[in-house]
Amino acid sequence: MKTQIACYGAKLVSDRVAAPGRVALLAQDDVLLHYGADDLVTLGRELLPRLNVTALAIAAPARPCGDLLIARCAAGDEVIVPRDTETRTFLHDIPIVRRPPDGVHDPAHLASLLGGRKGIAVEGLGIIATGVTPEQAYINVSSVYHALFVKLLLDLLRDGVRTAAEHELLADLRREVTAAPGMEGLSFRPGPLLKPEEILDEMARVGRYTVERGLVDSFFGNISCRAGAILYISQTASSLDALAGCIDPVPFDGSSTVGLTASSELPAHRRIYEMTEATTILHGHPRFAVILSMLCEHQADCRVVDCWKDCPAVRYLGGIPVVAGEIGAGGLAKRVPPVIGATGRAIVFGHGVFTTGKDGFSEAFRALLEVEQWCQRDYFRLLDTALAASPKR
Amino acid sequence: MNGWHGRLLHVDLGRGRCRSESIPTALLHAYLGGRGLGVRLLRDDYHRDPADPDLPLLFAVGPLCGTVAPTSSRLVVVSRSPLTGTVFAASAGGPFARRLKAAGFDAVRIVGVSPQPVVLTLTPHGGELRPAAQLWGKRVAATVAALAEHGSVAAIGPAGENGVLYASIVMGDGEAVGRGGLGAVMGSKQLKAITVAGDLPTVVADPVRLESARQNVMRLFRASPVLLGELGLGEFGTPAFVDLMAQRRLTPTENFRKTHFPSCASYAGPALHRAFAPLRYGCDDCPIECKKRTAQGLALPEYEAVSHFGALNGIADLQTIVAANALCSDLGLDPISAAATLAAWGEMRGRFPRPAEVGPLLEAIAARRGDGELLARGSRRLTVARGRPELAMAVKSLELPAYDPRGVYGMALAYATGNHGGCHLSAYPIAHEILRKPVPTDRFSFAGKARMIKIAEDSNAAIDSLVACKLAFLGASLEEYADLLAAVTGSEYSTQALMVIGERIWMSERFYNQQNGFTAADDTLPERFFTEPGSSGDGIAIPPIDRSRFAEELAKYYAMRGLNSQGGFADPAFLEYQP
Repeated sequence: MKTQIACYGAKLVSDRVAAPGRVALLAQDDVLLHYGADDLVTLGRELLPRLNVTALAIAAPARPCGDLLIARCAAGDEVIVPRDTETRTFLHDIPIVRRPPDGVHDPAHLASLLGGRKGIAVEGLGIIATGVTPEQAYINVSSVYHALFVKLLLDLLRDGVRTAAEHELLADLRREVTAAPGMEGLSFRPGPLLKPEEILDEMARVGRYTVERGLVDSFFGNISCRAGAILYISQTASSLDALAGCIDPVPFDGSSTVGLTASSELPAHRRIYEMTEATTILHGHPRFAVILSMLCEHQADCRVVDCWKDCPAVRYLGGIPVVAGEIGAGGLAKRVPPVIGATGRAIVFGHGVFTTGKDGFSEAFRALLEVEQWCQRDYFRLLDTALAASPKR
Repeated sequence: MNGWHGRLLHVDLGRGRCRSESIPTALLHAYLGGRGLGVRLLRDDYHRDPADPDLPLLFAVGPLCGTVAPTSSRLVVVSRSPLTGTVFAASAGGPFARRLKAAGFDAVRIVGVSPQPVVLTLTPHGGELRPAAQLWGKRVAATVAALAEHGSVAAIGPAGENGVLYASIVMGDGEAVGRGGLGAVMGSKQLKAITVAGDLPTVVADPVRLESARQNVMRLFRASPVLLGELGLGEFGTPAFVDLMAQRRLTPTENFRKTHFPSCASYAGPALHRAFAPLRYGCDDCPIECKKRTAQGLALPEYEAVSHFGALNGIADLQTIVAANALCSDLGLDPISAAATLAAWGEMRGRFPRPAEVGPLLEAIAARRGDGELLARGSRRLTVARGRPELAMAVKSLELPAYDPRGVYGMALAYATGNHGGCHLSAYPIAHEILRKPVPTDRFSFAGKARMIKIAEDSNAAIDSLVACKLAFLGASLEEYADLLAAVTGSEYSTQALMVIGERIWMSERFYNQQNGFTAADDTLPERFFTEPGSSGDGIAIPPIDRSRFAEELAKYYAMRGLNSQGGFADPAFLEYQP
């Protein structure tokens, strides 16, 4: 467990969720184990014994998304309610804690909030989350960060940029996405992929690429390959950057339920294969695609309330279809397959991107990367337009 | 009162009287309902022998029952098990629970022995005892049919009447309070059945918040491949686990001599689908609908039953397995303990039952006739009586279910620490060790498992007190159910508040057991698991469990529970500090 907390603590930094040196991960076995910054560990020591959990993570984010969102909240707000699908489904809302006048947060108050939700945003400190394992604490911090990031950037675009800190964050992000690597340095096995061992090996490699290129939140997403009567798909709750031993072979004919642990998006993958010529599928949650998918020009006068799952329309972002639909057994599996065939690309409202390839993973990966890069460019184009139209600071 | 009625029905069978009592509100908040309330109400009587007429048999629903909270039409029956000698709590879903709540009661406490067989009829007017000599000796289906006009029925079969130590209490729709022999306690009281009818609503404090919380749960159900995925429990029922456990090489086979049964596909989920084209149904309000029955109404077996009548006895014939399960339901037998006892007997004899022998053997057990007399006492007593105690694959005399602990080390620990004996549901580490929820853990490692088992035991004790279905927690979590509870009762609850309640319940049960003579020596596994390997293959090695590492993790578990190194309570006044 000691190795685990060090691993996931370091990962929060390498994921750019936590600032270097500003992370702590603690775990209770028979003794309390800890990793990270002394002051954060000290706080963690006060929190963990108050909670019936195994692990707790504290991350002061590299970017102050939480603080900026809290600053934009009304005085009486106690939670932030992001509207992306992952957060709706798994986190519901994120309790916020404002900075007290003396700057010292009350551990009892923090613990009481952590007793009700998986993670919280604490002004001036960062994100705190718990888990039944160190991995889950890491995931929860990462998921909260993803939710805050998406909501902040959406709010900035919709409601305007108000503060110097917000401008600074956007400028920093613009520099980062401009310099982000593309396909260079990546290699793909040419298709068709037929042998199980080469399929598993290629899926593990491409899964790792999606994490390395930031096309997923934490390490979630899914990947599959069709080979004859078998659909190879990553397991639910698997790390795309550690897929060895975590890929289920699922027979197309339903003759076995061994794929019970397959990704929740198995129905979508299966129907895409049934309706298109795809042999590979990638699904990630790249942030800018998620953000732009939630911008709809018809929202103000639309009668659909829960548009993220009920909108029947097919919209387009740069020629890529955008559809609504819930995760898993919800509507996503019905709405994505009919629209993805033409371009091999589809975006799901507030959720993420599916891409396909007809011959190996190169095409699907390139498509995923291009969709996100297009969305990044378009986000800043829209932002510039909005800034130009708004009064000068 | 929001959520609860605040009333219990006290039934004294010896005196033939029923009276309504109020339940202190503080107790309801401290123990919720179901298992927690039952365990609390047992406090003055936990020391009584299972054969003592004054041992209470408690039926309890929870605050969510009767609302739209998903999977909450459930009850828990609590008493002391004649099979294990431990305190026991077993849960069942279906309309019986909802109607019991709608009759205006949170719990029914039954004591005494009736001078003649009776049926307890429960309505909002109270309880009434009716003679039932004409039903004594009847099987469950016939009993349910005879009483259908009175509402929902919970009945025992011949097994319960005859004191089979693993007799069940069967609900009219086929669900059962299966494990622990609580049907024998009911039979010892000469209580053949209970009927419930009523239309009293469960008052909800905040219906808008409840609907919002319900939607949160439903989103998680739909996002769960195990629950509502196309290979999941909604589609195939729990037999969906057959292929998965086989692939992981942890199928208990031939009385746990092996962990792989090559013929198991013949009774796996898809095979049941092909053979019976089953219809989906759920426990009254349940959106998961993991129950499967044929168009003719035949309830198909759960995973534990197919696997134990199948692999554990070396039987591949689907029709035999389905028939055995149906017969257990009609005779009022726990199919897990029945099949496991037959398997122990099979290994002892050097020959497992042939398919054609299974039905007659079950009949003999229920009647305690011939070989059935000894088989009716469960695998531990059977093997001890025959001088082969090492062949009882049981913990605290409760036969182990269909997950071989050599392939899931958290399950190994949970079998050992379970207050009810070798029960898979006390902590259900299969969720993370196999099904990857909420996050995957290394099934061949003990690292961190003591804490995880403790957390899961506390959590499941709370779930059993809400009362909700534990399968629901393969998608949702206590976080969402705390919101449901707050919406229903109007009192704020959090995940941690529910965990505190769960821990209180768990520790109370352990204290009862300790006072009744259970010690650390009972917190262990059958020797086989420490000395014999399972069936390695397909790149998966199934070695024996490392005994020293198991002991080390068990010691950690005791420390985390605040117990002494012998697993005992340092403070004999523990209960005095509990509400």
